[in-house]
Amino acid sequence: MSSDVRFTDFKSDKQPTWCPGCGDFGTMNGMMKALAETGNDPDNTFIVAGIGCSGKIGTYMHSYALHGVHGRALPVGTGVKMARPDLEVMVAGGDGDGYSIGAGHFVHAVRRNVDMSYVVMDNRIYGLTKGQASPTSRSDFETSTTPEGPKQPPVNPLALALASGASFIAQSFASDALRHQEIVQKAIEHDGFGFVNVFSPCVTFNDVDTYDYFRDNLVDLQEEDHDPNDYEAAKKVVLDSEKEYQGIMYQDENSVPYHEQHGVTEDMSDIPDSAPDDAMDLVREFY
Amino acid sequence: MAEDLNWAIGGEAGDGIDSTGKIFAQALSRAGRHVFTSKDFASRIRGGYTAYKIRTSVDRVQSVVDRLDILVALTQRTIDENLDELHGGSAIIYDGERSWEAEIPDEMTAVDVPLKSLAEDAGGAIMRNIVALGAACEITGFDVEYLDEALEKRFGGKGSKIVENNKEAARLGQEYVQENYDLDHLGYNVGTTDNDYVLLNGNEAIGMGAIAAGCRFYAGYPITPATSIMEYLTGRIEDYGGHVVQAEDELSAINMALGAARSGARSMTATSGAGIDLMTETFGLVATSETPLVITDVQRSGPSTGMPTKQEQGDLNMVLYGGHGEVPRFVVAPTSITECFWKTIEAFNLAEKYQTPVFLVSDLAMSVTEQTFPPEAFDMDEVEIDRGKLVDEDEVDEWLDAQGRFRAHAVTEDGVSPRAIPGTTDGAHMSTGLEHDELGRRTEEEDERVQQVDKRNRKVETARTEEDWDYREFGDSDAGNLVISWGSNEGALVEALEYLEDDDIDVRVISVPYLFPRPDLSDEIDAADQTVVVECNANGQFADVLEHDALTRLKRINKYTGVRFKADELAESITEKLSEEVPAQ
Repeated sequence: MSSDVRFTDFKSDKQPTWCPGCGDFGTMNGMMKALAETGNDPDNTFIVAGIGCSGKIGTYMHSYALHGVHGRALPVGTGVKMARPDLEVMVAGGDGDGYSIGAGHFVHAVRRNVDMSYVVMDNRIYGLTKGQASPTSRSDFETSTTPEGPKQPPVNPLALALASGASFIAQSFASDALRHQEIVQKAIEHDGFGFVNVFSPCVTFNDVDTYDYFRDNLVDLQEEDHDPNDYEAAKKVVLDSEKEYQGIMYQDENSVPYHEQHGVTEDMSDIPDSAPDDAMDLVREFY
Repeated sequence: MAEDLNWAIGGEAGDGIDSTGKIFAQALSRAGRHVFTSKDFASRIRGGYTAYKIRTSVDRVQSVVDRLDILVALTQRTIDENLDELHGGSAIIYDGERSWEAEIPDEMTAVDVPLKSLAEDAGGAIMRNIVALGAACEITGFDVEYLDEALEKRFGGKGSKIVENNKEAARLGQEYVQENYDLDHLGYNVGTTDNDYVLLNGNEAIGMGAIAAGCRFYAGYPITPATSIMEYLTGRIEDYGGHVVQAEDELSAINMALGAARSGARSMTATSGAGIDLMTETFGLVATSETPLVITDVQRSGPSTGMPTKQEQGDLNMVLYGGHGEVPRFVVAPTSITECFWKTIEAFNLAEKYQTPVFLVSDLAMSVTEQTFPPEAFDMDEVEIDRGKLVDEDEVDEWLDAQGRFRAHAVTEDGVSPRAIPGTTDGAHMSTGLEHDELGRRTEEEDERVQQVDKRNRKVETARTEEDWDYREFGDSDAGNLVISWGSNEGALVEALEYLEDDDIDVRVISVPYLFPRPDLSDEIDAADQTVVVECNANGQFADVLEHDALTRLKRINKYTGVRFKADELAESITEKLSEEVPAQ
């Protein structure tokens, strides 16, 4: 890690193909700044992404990275962190990627409390497949596949995380650059699974959950005297379907990440060039 | 094969059948006898017929046969299930005081031992199986003291009182038979040797091979019969700085393993039938991102949930062709328990040298069968680790483009690109399942697509010439009759040769451990008068592949009852098949 890392070091020379105005630009900028600000550099950082507009992020950033298959980014991130506790692991995804096809993995990654940050670009729609309902779409949101709305309640990722035993739950807004960066930074610094749901508007297919909508409706928990260490208060906030919140909903300051719980400290990439010295003991066990 | 003894204990699942069998197997192994075990079990925790069978000899044994000499029957069903294998000289140990009345054919020797009450005399009814072991020792002339060490190993953790009680139980069983029966006429006399053997099954050998090869990360989801690989590694891999994660499903397991492999750890996942289906999604990603990963498939009876506790070799097409698009891969299939160890090590080397998935294919019969070997069969000094083109900080420079970007997917002559693991200065790069350029960045350019596809496929071509893809051979190499097999059938085939020899039938056996790439057997098939392919599936998946390679029709022996081949039965099938007309071209 070098102290003179600038956030632009995390930028690749590939131009994003996101639509002009897409919330993912702001989300990514905040992630890069947060990584640089927390003392990381591209050579010690591993970014995992799934499929969809959000999944493209690994291409536009510069670090060690894997762009995987739809919904499976969290297991990949888990494998990276377990094998290499020395790396800063960040997983990026979208609402479809994380709360639909990857919902099972989400619950288990949360409860494992692997020390990584998980940034979900939530635009409440499927963008890259051109405008179908996502798990966070409103029940009356009309799309090509739900002409009368999904007629089912949206997934509440914050409540799902809390119910799964999350140690860090936050929400931010791509366009509120400083707050977003600050929140992602806190997620990175958190010892455990740092979950951030980011409102990242889709300017092409979602005319309901727009920048204006979030600007008008977003309540910042910092201004509400919310104590993130208060579990009961966190419950109230994450279950409040009347408001859109920004800030850290919950943080367990005593969180012990998975690899520490399991005594994993070593760099698993470093192996000897022959069998272990005492390997014949493994054979003798079968006497 | 007069020295052979075939022993079994059977009852209901939950009766301690497995541990009793294991104790006897260990005692025989400690006495310098060779042991080969097999298990019949149902997919349930309690209840349902289950049996543990041991074939033992002072000579090497590597198969089951159709004969049972001593049977410890805890239920009538145990007798009924094994009636075909029992013979006039068989002795059946049972407890006449129990509520069921044993129906034992007249020609067999019924040995009624009050197992439960003798066990109670020794300290508890739970030890009735150990009383039976003592009785079996007396019938077979096997010194009961050999049981002691196995009992210490099994119960040592529970305190010396328990161990002593069990030793006593065995002696009470032995004495009861001594005092109440004269069984010398049966003629069993189990000799011992000074040899030291280890006793282990195929899954344990795979786990041990993984540790020896430097595997540090394992992720899996419990599934019969692959689970015991995970159980072996848990509790041992930590001693070497590794870790096992029990994932939420197979999709997660293979992706976790992929993540660990991507970050430089030697990494593995293992599963069976239904689980490998779920993992298929990620095969292409592993290959396209050029990640070294060992994926173990311990086959069981399919399709769908099939018969989860039964033998089959039905996943060959899956591991050869599974996954959408075209996935360059290697498929390695151990043919014996020692090969489970060595081929696992080789699988890790192949994975890293060629940066692509390696399928390690075993089967249920091999996974649960325990067999004795001299410890040197697993000589750790022979283990070689080859990490392939892993570049360090100093070597990275050679692979940077004009802008200083690492060419992780550089097009090379041998098809293998340099690999920089995270943390390597200036090696940062992205890998993706999307088609990509040399830098790992998405491309749909025709030329780049073709270059990358060709490059990945070239790995296989390079490996074809660089690596040894030989087969194993047994029997008479000049024989006109050729039998080809893969997987765990090898042991039964080797022993079948002895029966065939008795009938003056010369056979050459070729056992193939590499399924892709595989040895070209066209010349061997051409040279033979007739060729029979032996495998545990209904459709002859390997025979199909060989017919395609050699452009000729082959005879097939297929067993898909859920039970492995037995040596004597296989010899009969081969004799019969050889006498049939050659199939039309």
